[in-house]
Amino acid sequence: MGNAFFVVWRESLEAFLIAGILYAWLKANDDSGQGRRALFLGLAAGAGLAMLLGWALLTVQDELTGEALDMFQTATLFVAAGLITQMVLWMHKHGRQMKARLHADLAAAAEKSGHLGVAVVAALAVAREGAETVIFLYGMAQEGDLSALLLGALAGFAGAGATAWLAAKSLARLNIGLLLRLSSILLLVLASALLISAIDRLLGAGWLPPLLDPVWDSSALLDDGTKAGKLIADFSGYRARPALTSLLAWATYWGVVIFAWRRSGRG
Amino acid sequence: MKHALHSVVFALFLASTAALADDMPTYKLTMKDGRFYPETLEVPALTRFRLEVKNEGPGATEFESLELKKELVLAPGVTRNLVFYPMKPGTYKFFDDFHPETGQGRIVAK
Ligand SMILES: [Cu+2]
Repeated sequence: MGNAFFVVWRESLEAFLIAGILYAWLKANDDSGQGRRALFLGLAAGAGLAMLLGWALLTVQDELTGEALDMFQTATLFVAAGLITQMVLWMHKHGRQMKARLHADLAAAAEKSGHLGVAVVAALAVAREGAETVIFLYGMAQEGDLSALLLGALAGFAGAGATAWLAAKSLARLNIGLLLRLSSILLLVLASALLISAIDRLLGAGWLPPLLDPVWDSSALLDDGTKAGKLIADFSGYRARPALTSLLAWATYWGVVIFAWRRSGRG
Repeated sequence: MKHALHSVVFALFLASTAALADDMPTYKLTMKDGRFYPETLEVPALTRFRLEVKNEGPGATEFESLELKKELVLAPGVTRNLVFYPMKPGTYKFFDDFHPETGQGRIVAK
């Protein structure tokens, strides 16, 4: 039961946090409420996709399904990281004009693609974490004690919801300008963490050379093999023993983002 | 023509993976009841090797190591292979992300 609680809590929290930050960010950016509707639609679609994936994986428990899952996860990491970044940068560039209703047509078009982006990111986040949760719970269910398992899973899900709600709530209490900047930065940090995970997968599969591995070892300071360390690693992209390729990807990401941010701020 | 080309590429691919498979030492790791058997794996340093991970259940497991850049979800009863690139001598930790309290192990490269 303890395991069911922790695994469901952690997997759900990751999806909820992306959803929660998107929600806080939409609240500040989008008065119409359409963005939030797109967010909920995306979450529902993601839940459906997760069940479909879990079902496919369990129906055909062989190498191919496993590799298909790996590829799906790697692809979602890249797509989600790219979409989140593009959305945050786009809003930073056009946010002011949109608010002032200077370019009504442009704003309307952006609203549409922005909403699609929100829905897709939410769906991917839920699908990725959900698929693992489904497999885990299915496996646990074979052990027998179903009521304890169900209780642990539900408590984990509720706990993750409460954790994310508290995080979004404490964000929302700040003033709009600060909220906007903070949630944008949090989304970018999350996107960079997704990117690092995707790079890790490519390195692990041998599709990318690590160049120098590891560049340093900070596991004595913060060990990413422990529960808490893994949590921080998942949300920030921290690695105790990073490969040079990961560092380069990380530096390139932030270089491009900061450059684009400055340029769009001036224009 | 296109088909012929595909077959040739595919055959080459099969041949190369078969060749790689031949000269690669294989180690076995079993995951059971939330634990690893064995918990310490000794492998030669600076040598490519294959790890055959088997989940005997009950329950799904996730073999994971951030420092080795490996992540693998295994439904119960599933066996899968991971290829590791030559490692410097040292100790590398891995864990079962679905059973982090009990599922801790290490690879010692010598
Ligand atoms: Cu909008």
